[in-house]
Amino acid sequence: MLAKGAAKKLTIYLNEDTQYHLSPLYEAILTFLRHKGVAGATVTRALSGFGAHRVVHTPKVEALAEHLPLKIEFVEAAEKIEELLPTLYDMVSDGLIEVQDTTIVKAARGDKPSPQPHRPHERKAGKAKLMRVFLGEDDRWNGEPLYDAIVKRLQMMDIAGATVYRGILGYGAKGHTHKQNLLHTHRDLPMMISVIDAEPKLAEAALAVEEMLADGLIVISDVDMVRLVRSGAAEPGDE
Amino acid sequence: MSEYRPAKLLRLHFTEQDRYRGKPLYEAIFDKCRELKIAGATVFRGIEGFGETAGIRRAHLLSRGLPVVVQIVDSEENIARLLPGIEEMMGNGLIAISDVQILRVQKGPPG
Repeated sequence: MLAKGAAKKLTIYLNEDTQYHLSPLYEAILTFLRHKGVAGATVTRALSGFGAHRVVHTPKVEALAEHLPLKIEFVEAAEKIEELLPTLYDMVSDGLIEVQDTTIVKAARGDKPSPQPHRPHERKAGKAKLMRVFLGEDDRWNGEPLYDAIVKRLQMMDIAGATVYRGILGYGAKGHTHKQNLLHTHRDLPMMISVIDAEPKLAEAALAVEEMLADGLIVISDVDMVRLVRSGAAEPGDE
Repeated sequence: MSEYRPAKLLRLHFTEQDRYRGKPLYEAIFDKCRELKIAGATVFRGIEGFGETAGIRRAHLLSRGLPVVVQIVDSEENIARLLPGIEEMMGNGLIAISDVQILRVQKGPPG
């Protein structure tokens, strides 16, 4: 599976009826990419287009309908692209190859975790940091609840974990008392998000929170962390 | 990195049932914090717990006496100023103090 971060995106423009050793070129390229273990590739057929031959390819004219433009796209690590390029250069006899820099934000497979045989936990102990963020339930960030937005952001950053607590009474940053009234019509109860991770990751998280928080308090303390990891499972924070 | 400054985090553990002069202890402590102008205090209610003063308490519809935690953050001096009063108010329970680094975020309205 692809790793998050910088990567390359390769695009090949070609025609549907371009041949490569008696089979369509796009099929040959796709087979080659699969054989080389590329994470994924997509072939799209265009509605219409023109290229080096200055002929407009369009399904509206029957005679030209078998000559439609295709686009093959895939994203891979830069080294992998380097490895594949010479062969692709040779294969594409008629068309265009383009490489651009891209960033992988998420590469998820969506598999259901297969039921694992019960294995003992592995115990990992070490120093870590605990961050508590105090904010109000009514605080918003671009229209959504701030606590929700913070948790989603931290999850995207692969922070080990975060928990949101709702208090029943509180005051602080804004000076006013947060308390639920009897009719439950208005509630701006105090909220706390607690986040634990190793120091460098937590510093990143603190910066992200600081940026999103308009009015609140960030409290950081040292903790001893013991993590129980089921062996074989993917681990957050291991890079 | 913004400037964090050292402070103390005070956690008080007791139950919802505990009272001080007729009102819930957590409210009394809360009022005390306001009176002494402590920077902030937040009360959390647990959903289950046990401790020195009680057996296991679970959240039922009519249950009383669930665990309550009050978290207070302020400078060392202010916490020291608050502690004697709190100790006197809390009949039994647990007080935990930790060293923390804090950052107060306060941004003006955008624009």
